[in-house]
Amino acid sequence: MKKDLKKVRNIGISAHIDSGKTTLTERVLFYTRRIHAIHEVRGKDGVGATMDSMELEKERGITIQSAATYCSWKDCDINIIDTPGHVDFTIEVERALRVLDGAVLILCSVGGVQSQSITVNRQMTRYKVPRIAFINKCDRTGANPFRVTQQLRDKLDLNAVMIQLPIGLESDLKGMVDLVAMKAVYFDGDQGEEVRIEEIPADLRDEAEAKREELLDAVSMFSDELMEAMLEEAEIPESMIHEAIRRGTLSLELTPVMIGSAYKNKGIQLLLDAVNAYLPCPTDVENTALDLDKEEAEVVVSNNPDDPLVALAFKLEDGRYGQLTYIRTYQGTIQKGETIVNTRTGKKAKVGRLVRMHANDMEEIEGAGSGDIVALFGIDCASGDTFCSNDINWSMSSMHVPAPVISLAIKPVDNKAQINMSKALNRFTKEDPTFKTFVDHETSETIISGMGELHLEVYIERMKREYKAEVEIGAPQVAYRETITQRADFDYTHKKQTGGSGQYGRVAGFIEPLEEGEYEFNDAIVGGAIPREFISSCDKGFQKSMAKGVLTGAQITGVKITINDGSFHAVDSSDVAFQLAAIGGFKQGYGKAAPVIMEPIMKVAVEGPSEFQGAVMGSLNQRRGVIIGTFEEGNYTVVEAEMPLAEMFGYSTTLRSLTQGKAEFTMEFATYKQVPKGVADELIKTFEAQKKDA
Amino acid sequence: MGYEPLVQQNPLRVLNMGRENNQLGLVMARAGLGKTALLVQIALDAILRGKRVIHINIGESIEKTKSWYDDILQLILQEHSVAKPHELIDMVARHRMIMTFKIAAFTRSRLEERLNDLVLQDIFRPNCLIIDGFDFESNGREALEDVKNLMESMNMQAWFSARCHREDNRVSPAGVPAPCHEIDDLFDMIILLKPEKNATIQLDIIRNYGEQVTGEKGLLLDPTTMMVKES
Repeated sequence: MKKDLKKVRNIGISAHIDSGKTTLTERVLFYTRRIHAIHEVRGKDGVGATMDSMELEKERGITIQSAATYCSWKDCDINIIDTPGHVDFTIEVERALRVLDGAVLILCSVGGVQSQSITVNRQMTRYKVPRIAFINKCDRTGANPFRVTQQLRDKLDLNAVMIQLPIGLESDLKGMVDLVAMKAVYFDGDQGEEVRIEEIPADLRDEAEAKREELLDAVSMFSDELMEAMLEEAEIPESMIHEAIRRGTLSLELTPVMIGSAYKNKGIQLLLDAVNAYLPCPTDVENTALDLDKEEAEVVVSNNPDDPLVALAFKLEDGRYGQLTYIRTYQGTIQKGETIVNTRTGKKAKVGRLVRMHANDMEEIEGAGSGDIVALFGIDCASGDTFCSNDINWSMSSMHVPAPVISLAIKPVDNKAQINMSKALNRFTKEDPTFKTFVDHETSETIISGMGELHLEVYIERMKREYKAEVEIGAPQVAYRETITQRADFDYTHKKQTGGSGQYGRVAGFIEPLEEGEYEFNDAIVGGAIPREFISSCDKGFQKSMAKGVLTGAQITGVKITINDGSFHAVDSSDVAFQLAAIGGFKQGYGKAAPVIMEPIMKVAVEGPSEFQGAVMGSLNQRRGVIIGTFEEGNYTVVEAEMPLAEMFGYSTTLRSLTQGKAEFTMEFATYKQVPKGVADELIKTFEAQKKDA
Repeated sequence: MGYEPLVQQNPLRVLNMGRENNQLGLVMARAGLGKTALLVQIALDAILRGKRVIHINIGESIEKTKSWYDDILQLILQEHSVAKPHELIDMVARHRMIMTFKIAAFTRSRLEERLNDLVLQDIFRPNCLIIDGFDFESNGREALEDVKNLMESMNMQAWFSARCHREDNRVSPAGVPAPCHEIDDLFDMIILLKPEKNATIQLDIIRNYGEQVTGEKGLLLDPTTMMVKES
């Protein structure tokens, strides 16, 4: 079961929504003979693309979950993660990127670098993922791969170099010139499965020569041999150019640009060749883990299949046969029947069924070596957990998980729905760390929260379809927070004497703003003013107080509490008494500490034709936005702004009517900021009214 | 606004800035000496004096321009203690807007259209424009006069950056190198950045709101932080 790791590719395919990644993946699977027919995303045959296995995805034509799939092309094994394009699902994209070694960044030849491409590119840069750019949809009217390549340089700051030249464009797209081999490539047959290689057409000869020069210039800096060969004007072997491109790509200093049309079956085989030739194999990339036995010291994983196992569970799915856990192995080998340890919980588990996934179908396997992506059955864990062999205790570095910014109350319509709903919620929260749920004890409503309106909508849909749980939905609520802005002292005595044993506890100290972190408790009691055993009671009391702020009932964050004095009673002091004293003390201090309301601020990018720039800026300005900047190129413009989330409900409708549907926007969470006075007063008033009603 | 000490202590006070609205300033240097760093400090000084600034960057991204401000603001906060740094950062964000253009997309008429969009809808009323990356080599005197007229009609100050080249020896009588040697009369303030032997960068103030400056108190750029210092 030893595999040559040089022949393994773990790649992702990511792009802006609707750039055609699913269509492209479908072609890849077809040409690698994993599937025997091509189904279109919005196909008339009603089957839908293979990777879009969830019903909802088929209906909306978008991919929500990243299904992992496996195929082999020529002599390489390729694991593909199909990643979602919408920004609301970025946790999925980020998780997928964490386990990838390389990626294909798909761009639309007409739309070019769109806002989502920018987000995805930033994420790829964060996780240092080498990438190839593929300019898709070259058959569409207005296709201009040269402009898109320039945008890759300008907007994404990539050293993008075309390694192909289109032969014809738009409806005239016939094939492409391979600038490395200097040959024309055409795709024959109903589904482009026959690759025909010919001489470059005479009319493209000069352009091809010029573009090849550009390519050689750009890649020569990654290869001394190539540089020398060029200086000597010697014949340059193809393999030397490939090697130089590969080095440039791996160092993230070069992005080869390829072109084609997945829908018209053009260019996909060449893209697969490039994946094999330029993208890294697992040993080319250095991954690090944290050694939990050595205070989380960083260790480099070895990729050696003979070392102890380290594997990361990056995705959970509730399949037809129970929980399916996608894992990526970083070193060691996972074998059926072996015992592995979840280093987060310390629980041991036995590897039962081990499968290789292909969208919805699977293939049983006996074991998988390091660098592979496979799925496990019947292992209980959360995504992001690390599995190791018995002898080591490592954890793959924790992934960056943003806090939810929006929430909704949901109510099941009947008893059956109630049961199904809790099943569904249990599953979703395990699968997706940005999706959270809890029951509000005051209203006994179930609250779900996540990263955006669409994010929650999708889960509600899934509840309906997959779990048959009909729910009523409340209005979306912004996750406000409260914090304090100055230091304040408190000194509170809780005393109660109502027959039987009384309650007594006094707590004194101060609260102050905490720049980083949510809560800190500092015990500065000397001389036993509060007995040891009641210190934790105080801590508990303070933490309870943090759950609901005084102003709007929102969660309180960023508070440091120090206790430095107190008193107790030999008989009447108890855990409860000190908790209540702490709660009283907190209230006393909080009121004096100038509490304020904070709201989530989103980074919003609106893009569309320049003629609408004024209108777009006006609409953002009306919604309490701060416009950061604008970018203009030709007749295309992007406006970037920081917007309060509370003002963004229904913005897509406004934008559509404002721009005749020609502009679109994306948003992602940026930070929390203090709510302006007028808005804060309004929020407090509403909260007071609610309290009275209750 | 409580930032007067920051304004008063700023070494840029040597310049006669903020006297009049419709003046034109120019920062010239060879590549990499700190033109943008100086422009951003001029812009931040204007913002601290309560002005609103539009930073136009031709050929650069929003992200890059913004990070110039973030970095320099951090340096200012390191040197001067401010009671509520977050409020200052917030204030700067509200008083600054970044406009970036592809080189070919920048024209005077488009600039006017954009400024009108902002002013008429009352989104942003700038007092000062920073124009970084204006192409002086292919735009002639007329283009610049055009922009000057626009600034006058909108009652704004504008600061330009221009790059000069080591091998180009053309110089105006006042000492302004090419490519601005033939249009230097249009500017009210001209600063030339000159590298010195001890690795510092001298601010050679060629013209200070009409007055010829005789080196009383010199200014320089700290080569590591690019911050303006008194020499």
